[in-house]
Amino acid sequence: MKNEEEVKVLIIIPAYNESANIEQVIHHLLDQAPQYDYLIVNDGSTDNTLKICEKRGYQYLDLSINLGIGGAVQAGYVYAYKNDYDIAVQMDGDGQHDIAYLEAMLKPLLAKEADVVIGSRFIKKEGFQSSQTRRIGIGILSFLINITTGRKIIDVTSGYRAVNKKFIGIYAKDYPTDYPEPEAIVTAVMHRGKVMEVPVQMRAREGGKSSITFGRSIYYMIKVTLAILICRLSYGFRRAKIVPADID
Amino acid sequence: MIPSTLRVTLIIAVICYFIIILYFLKQRALNLKYTLLWLLAGVVMGSLVIFPELLIRIIHIFGIEDNMNGLFIMCIAFILMILMALTSIASRQNMKIRQLVQEIAILDKRIRELENQNTGSKNDGRIGEGITDIDNL
Repeated sequence: MKNEEEVKVLIIIPAYNESANIEQVIHHLLDQAPQYDYLIVNDGSTDNTLKICEKRGYQYLDLSINLGIGGAVQAGYVYAYKNDYDIAVQMDGDGQHDIAYLEAMLKPLLAKEADVVIGSRFIKKEGFQSSQTRRIGIGILSFLINITTGRKIIDVTSGYRAVNKKFIGIYAKDYPTDYPEPEAIVTAVMHRGKVMEVPVQMRAREGGKSSITFGRSIYYMIKVTLAILICRLSYGFRRAKIVPADID
Repeated sequence: MIPSTLRVTLIIAVICYFIIILYFLKQRALNLKYTLLWLLAGVVMGSLVIFPELLIRIIHIFGIEDNMNGLFIMCIAFILMILMALTSIASRQNMKIRQLVQEIAILDKRIRELENQNTGSKNDGRIGEGITDIDNL
């Protein structure tokens, strides 16, 4: 087994029109976790996110077409896979996720206690808790994932995650599109991954707008519910044993 | 029975349909792979016009009384099949485009790193193999 210092960690930061937040996020990151590599994935932003990345000399991928959060995060996983990273962390580009919890999230992965770690804001119920309606929605999805996979995950929509090498490979090949977070949990469980939640605090957004507006939430619930069911069905009764083949 | 004038009209229509498809195929405006379903639809239409008894028999098997209704239902079924095939093609292409965009982005990053390496220009970002080697050049 590798020493902790030799473990290559990549922090993936999907960013769509985050010019208001991205500098702050990277500033925190360079300040508090300079030992880790990071990668901004600019998802075809229409503001000057890309210009900021260029000017500041950040590490970034520039997607020429907007792929949505799923495609952007997956681009990061593909990059991590090709560059042989041991652990990939995904973290929003809007400043909601606090880099201070990174160590706590990496711990179960380094100890090989988990394959996928989710930063959950509902375990200790501290920090930004989201609105009541959203919490109900999250509760429903959490219940749905519980009955379809048998795992109790509370914060299923959290985009603050860390995965080990095996799941970098799996997600590089197979990562859901539109609203990927809950579905990605099902994918992980179906690949016999150990999914663990670690308590984190989240902040309210520092600037810009959330990608999920109120009007879209109904669509969100229907789409994600269907996606979870279909994802679960597509693996059949038995869990997948497949180890991802090399991607080209 | 279908009057013979109508049958002649329909036969001409089916022939036109085939000519248009073949024309597109010849111009390479249609991919043969995606045209097979259209051709199949043409063959079915053609044989029904030439042998109308076939249509009546098939319709009766399914328990449809009215011949015209039966014809419409068959047409709609074919169109639905073609639309589903098209949706599946669009989805597959969507996936391929996603992979390509990701691939291009990764290559783009690599090119930037190589350019930085070659020009020896300063880069204040961390990591990025190559950038760390600037001093060795």
